[in-house]
Amino acid sequence: MSVCAAALLATGCSQTTSSPSSGGTPVRGAEAIGYVRMDDLVKKHPLYPELSRLDDDMQALQFKQLAASGAAPSLPPDQLRKEQAEINKEFAAATERAKAALKAKQDEYSKREAEAIRDAIGSAGAIGGAPGAAAVGNSVNSEFKTQARSVQAGAEKNLDAYRKQLVAHDNAALRALQNSLNESAARTYGTKSEQVQKAEADFALAQAQADASERVALNAKLSNLVLDDATREDARKQLNVLDHKEADGLAAMKNRDSATLAALRKQLRDSTSAELDRQAAAMQAQTLAKINKRESDVRQQLVTQINALPVPGPNGGPMIPANVSPAVRDKLKALHQKYQDEFTKDANVTVAQFNKTRDELQKRMALITGVDVGGQNASSQQLDALEKQRRALYDQMLSQIEREVKIIAARRGVGVVLSQVMAPSGGVDLTDDAEKDIESLHE
Amino acid sequence: MAFAPATLAADVTDVGYFDQQAMAGIPRFVAAERQLKAYGDGLNREYAARVRGVKNQDVQARIMQEYKNKMVDKQRELIAPLSQRAQIAIASVASTRNLSVVVDKQIVIYGGQDITQNVIDLFNGVGDPVPPVNTPPPSSIGFVDTSQINTLPKVKQAYADFQKFNDDQRTAFQQKMRGAKSDADRQQLMKDFQKSMDDKRKQLIDPLSDQTKNVIASVARKRGLILVIDRQSLIYGGTDITTDVVNGLK
Repeated sequence: MSVCAAALLATGCSQTTSSPSSGGTPVRGAEAIGYVRMDDLVKKHPLYPELSRLDDDMQALQFKQLAASGAAPSLPPDQLRKEQAEINKEFAAATERAKAALKAKQDEYSKREAEAIRDAIGSAGAIGGAPGAAAVGNSVNSEFKTQARSVQAGAEKNLDAYRKQLVAHDNAALRALQNSLNESAARTYGTKSEQVQKAEADFALAQAQADASERVALNAKLSNLVLDDATREDARKQLNVLDHKEADGLAAMKNRDSATLAALRKQLRDSTSAELDRQAAAMQAQTLAKINKRESDVRQQLVTQINALPVPGPNGGPMIPANVSPAVRDKLKALHQKYQDEFTKDANVTVAQFNKTRDELQKRMALITGVDVGGQNASSQQLDALEKQRRALYDQMLSQIEREVKIIAARRGVGVVLSQVMAPSGGVDLTDDAEKDIESLHE
Repeated sequence: MAFAPATLAADVTDVGYFDQQAMAGIPRFVAAERQLKAYGDGLNREYAARVRGVKNQDVQARIMQEYKNKMVDKQRELIAPLSQRAQIAIASVASTRNLSVVVDKQIVIYGGQDITQNVIDLFNGVGDPVPPVNTPPPSSIGFVDTSQINTLPKVKQAYADFQKFNDDQRTAFQQKMRGAKSDADRQQLMKDFQKSMDDKRKQLIDPLSDQTKNVIASVARKRGLILVIDRQSLIYGGTDITTDVVNGLK
């Protein structure tokens, strides 16, 4: 070491004067300007893998969007609107055509069935001499019962669907409520945890600031090369005492805080669970009341519907004699089945044609608006949620880092610390010290 | 590490900071922003009505520019006087407290003088704030206006080349994704795309970025500055080394 350098160190007159601190890092003169490389510090934070994972997820979603956006040929907005309107118009027309065709077929087959039944009854009367009107009446009664059973089954099916819908709705509402309660509890816990961490950091900072002048003086003493061994040892011991005092105070505080946080966590868990149970019970009671009411309504409607079932009479269809022979009855059943089957077959052709038209129109719409518009929207929403999550996590990491940096700055007598520095030509770089402290957060 | 000459040692008591977000919440700014938004909404409706029947894209672009200009004019009319008043208030407080530099609160982790409330009080005061007579004292904190660096031909060219490469790669990526048969294929394509972009960035942008950092550091040393920050983080004062840096990069 040169004489000049030794002299500078001994007098401590230069900004570059340095001496080992308790942590082995050099201490600059008080009231210097420092800086940190925030990007490097963020990478050392224990939560960085989580941040990185969020970044990867967001990038994957962006890629997905990019790939999807490339699949659609672009149309000018005006033309796009025109094409969409045209497709919607065609779809509406196809729906109307299908409805009208089905109605016409239904009328046509009902008419043909009625004529066939009239002919059959007519020819049975002519052949048998006895028209068998009672048998026909029995057949009609049987048909009526079938229809009544069908109406009842339909009503039961609807009621069951309603019941399932309510239960599904309740389950979804309970899930949402649970999420909301959990989030609220997490927020409360997070806020408390943040407060506790801040209080600990403030305490550590206050201790560091209180001891700063003594620490700087001791470090200055230790940097004096002509210091005798005993005095040097004494100064080191004093520095150690300072370190222990600060560490013990902080450890005691952390223990208390840890117990407070554990109690809070238990309290939040209990209150969340109780609230969920309360809301679930209220919801179930409401649902039960709704189902009971619907059951009562359905019963009432059922009676009305069954009373209103059409019974073929003199003006409603072919006149059916009171008694028909079993053979005629079978013939009438067969006729009904025949026309029913023919109608179903014919109607299926119409429905298939409509489905084909609908699929083609959907394909055209997908082509002009871009593939899977719904999927794209979902991706965007997911991306927004991830961005929000990332921002919150990053802010949390940043505030922890800033707390550590403040303590280091106070210990090292640095007056101002900046981040986002373009060129640190002479400031005190606190990044390495901060990295060590941040890495210790892993423990 | 190189240190600043002793004569220019930093006096950290002359570093102040200001919270720009707090300023945005001042009722006068909020009212002006609301007025501007209402005006913008009206312009949007007007613009949509005017371009409805216009097929020619050049004409559409011309109309769009016309409305953008209107918006800028309105912004100037509503916001500029408030910004000017805020600037004077900042300068006045900084001068009173002997600050050589005031930076954005966002880049300050520790220390410095918070002048936010003083500035807001002065801004909200009855009379007009009085600008300081003296210019700020020389500061050991320098700043660079990066927007000027970005206008240098070689920087512009590098960014244009990178952008073109990006566009070409995206198109190719989209085409390949359409032909991808499995998730594994798609994952690989994503990785390849990302790698090609990273490689190109290393080739075109990083050398320029390193060169810029070196030039800034060199100028800072020559001028005896301790730190250099981006112009965007500076509110008041500081030492402007943009010209020296731009010359050093030419």
